[in-house]
Amino acid sequence: MITFKNVTKTYEINTNNIIQAVENIDITFKEGEVILLKGASGSGKSSILSLIAALSKPTSGEVIVDSKKISKLSDNFASIYRRDNIGFIFQKYNLIPTLSVKDNILLPLVPLNLKADDVEIKLNTVMQKFSIFHKKDIIVKNLSGGEQQRVAIARSYINEPKIILADEPTANLDKKLSEKFIEIMKELKEMNKTIIIATHDPLFFGLEFIDREIEMSDGKIIV
Amino acid sequence: MEVYENTLNLAMQIQVLSMNKYLIEYAINSILRQKSKNIFIFIVFTLLIFLLTSIFFITNSIKYELNSTVNSLPQIIVQNYKGGRHYDIEISKVDKILSISGVQESVARVWGYYYFENADVHFTLVGIDMFENQYKKSLTHLTQISSFDESSMYLGRGVKKLMYKNYYKNYFNFIKPNGTVKKIDIAGVFNSDIELESNDMIVMSKENLREIFALKENMATDIVVKVSNPNEIDTIALKIKEIIPTARVITNEDIKVSYEHLFNYKSGIFLALFIISLFTFFIIIYDKASGLSSEEKHEVGILKAIGWRVEDILQEKFYESFIISFFSYLLGVIFAFAFVYLFEAPLIRDIFIGYSNLKPSFSLSFIMDFQTLFLVFLLSVPIYIASIIIPSWRVATLDADEVIR
Repeated sequence: MITFKNVTKTYEINTNNIIQAVENIDITFKEGEVILLKGASGSGKSSILSLIAALSKPTSGEVIVDSKKISKLSDNFASIYRRDNIGFIFQKYNLIPTLSVKDNILLPLVPLNLKADDVEIKLNTVMQKFSIFHKKDIIVKNLSGGEQQRVAIARSYINEPKIILADEPTANLDKKLSEKFIEIMKELKEMNKTIIIATHDPLFFGLEFIDREIEMSDGKIIV
Repeated sequence: MEVYENTLNLAMQIQVLSMNKYLIEYAINSILRQKSKNIFIFIVFTLLIFLLTSIFFITNSIKYELNSTVNSLPQIIVQNYKGGRHYDIEISKVDKILSISGVQESVARVWGYYYFENADVHFTLVGIDMFENQYKKSLTHLTQISSFDESSMYLGRGVKKLMYKNYYKNYFNFIKPNGTVKKIDIAGVFNSDIELESNDMIVMSKENLREIFALKENMATDIVVKVSNPNEIDTIALKIKEIIPTARVITNEDIKVSYEHLFNYKSGIFLALFIISLFTFFIIIYDKASGLSSEEKHEVGILKAIGWRVEDILQEKFYESFIISFFSYLLGVIFAFAFVYLFEAPLIRDIFIGYSNLKPSFSLSFIMDFQTLFLVFLLSVPIYIASIIIPSWRVATLDADEVIR
C-alpha cells in the first residue's frame, strides 16, 4: 500500500522561480490496483511517480510504502528500495542508447552480482514475455519507438517489482503500439502488480482494467 | 528499522569489497562504447607515462654512471699548466710529490685522445703498467688478468663495435705524429661496470702509447696522487702547489663539482620535458575533473533511477578509470623500458654523451628503481581515477530525478 500524507513538493529553479509541483496531497494506492493519473502537462503527475519511486524527496509530508517511510530513506536505501520494489517506465524510456537490448534489460541486476545461470534465466524469460528476444543483440538506438518501449518495460520488470510506474508511456507511440502497451499492462495487472500510469492520452480513459482515475491540476487532486 | 538498516549497511560494505564481474563487464563495455574518446585518452596517457618514465630511467642510469665514475677518480691530479694550456709533465715530479708527508702513492699517467677519422669520433687511449698500482678500479681489474699481453691492446665495448664495423677485427693502425703507422693487435674487450667511463677507452702498455703520442721517456700526461688520510686531500693539494708552483692541482672534489654542474645543466633539459609532460597530464585531469558530459550525467541518473547505489556507480567508475589508467601506465613503462634499455634512448641519449665518448655504442646501465616506478604510478593512476570518481560522485549524490530531468 502506498500512502501520501499531506505531501508537498517544490522545485527551486532559482531564488525568484520556485515551482510548486504538488501541494498538500493526501492519497492511498492499494496493492494490486491500477490507477490512472490524468491531467495536463505540469499538473504534478510525474512528480507523484517520482515521489513514489523515491527519485526525489517531498519538501514536506510523508510518503509511506508498505509501512516504510520512503521519504526518510537515505540515498543508498532509496536506491535499494527502488531496485527491490519499483519498475519505472519513463516517458522517453531512459535507455542507454549505445548498449544492446540485452545489456539494457540487465542493468538493474548488475549490482546484485547474481549467478550467471540465474541471470540468463531471468533475462530470457523477460525478453520472451515482452517479445523482444529476437532483437537481444541489437543496439537500442537502432530500434523503433515501440521496440524501445518494450525494452524499457522489460527492464522495469526484470527485478520483479511490486509497483510499476509508467510516465506518459504512449506519448511517443502510434495508436496500434499504444494498444499493445495497454495489453501488456493488463497482463501485469493479472500478476497482481500495483500499476500507476500518468498520462493525458484519452486512449486510457474509461478502460475496464483501470480501477481508479485521478485527475490532477496545478499540483492538486481534483477528482 | 535501525537494526534492519545496520544489517543492510554491513551487507553492502561486504558487497563493495567483493569483485562484481558484471560491474567489470559493464565498465569494459562503457570504455568500448566511447571508443574514440577513450583511445585518445589511452594514447595520450601512455605517451605521458612513457615520457616521464623514460626521463626517470635515463636520469637514474646517468646518475649511477656519474657516481661510479666520480668514485673511481684519483684523489689528486697534477698537471703541467702553461699559458692556460695543459702540457706534458716531467716524471721527476713524482718523487718530489712523494716526499710530501701524507702522500701514499704518486703515479705518472700516460693517456690522451686519438681521433678516428672514419667514424668521426675520439678514442680515449690509456697506458698502463702491470707493475704499478692502478689509479682506477676498472684498470686494476684489467691488470689482474694473468694473460695481459703488453704488446697488444684492450678495447672498450663501443670502440670494439666501431672498429669491427670499419673492418679492424684483429688489429688497428695508429698514425703517429710523424706520419708513420703503429700497428697494435687487439687482445680483447675491456669490461667495466662503468660504461660512461670505459665505452670509448683503449688500454695498452705505456711504452706503446708513448710511441703513438711521441711522448718522451721522461715525460707523462699527468700525475695522480693518493693520500693516506682522505681528510688531508686539500692540505696536500696546497703543498703540491707550493713545491711545483706551475702545476695545476685538481682534487676529486673539484671534478665531482664540475661533473655535477654538467649533469645539472643537462638534466635541466629533462626537467623541462618532465614539467611539460606533467603540465599536459594535469590539463587532461583538470578537464576530466571539471565535470561529466551531459550524456555521462544522464547515464548516471538512469543507473540511479533503476536502483544502482552511489557505491555501485563509483565502483563501476573506479573499474573504468583503473582499466584505462593502469593499462596506460603498464604500457608506458614497458615502452620506456624498451626505449631506454633496448633501443638506448635514441635522440635523448645524445644530450648526455659528450666529446670524449663514442656516440653510437654507448649503452645506459640498467637500474631498476621501484621507487621511481611507484612515484610515476602515484603521479598518474590515482590522480586519474580521482578525476573520474569525484565528478561522478557529485552527480551520483544528486536526486536521480534532477539528473534525468
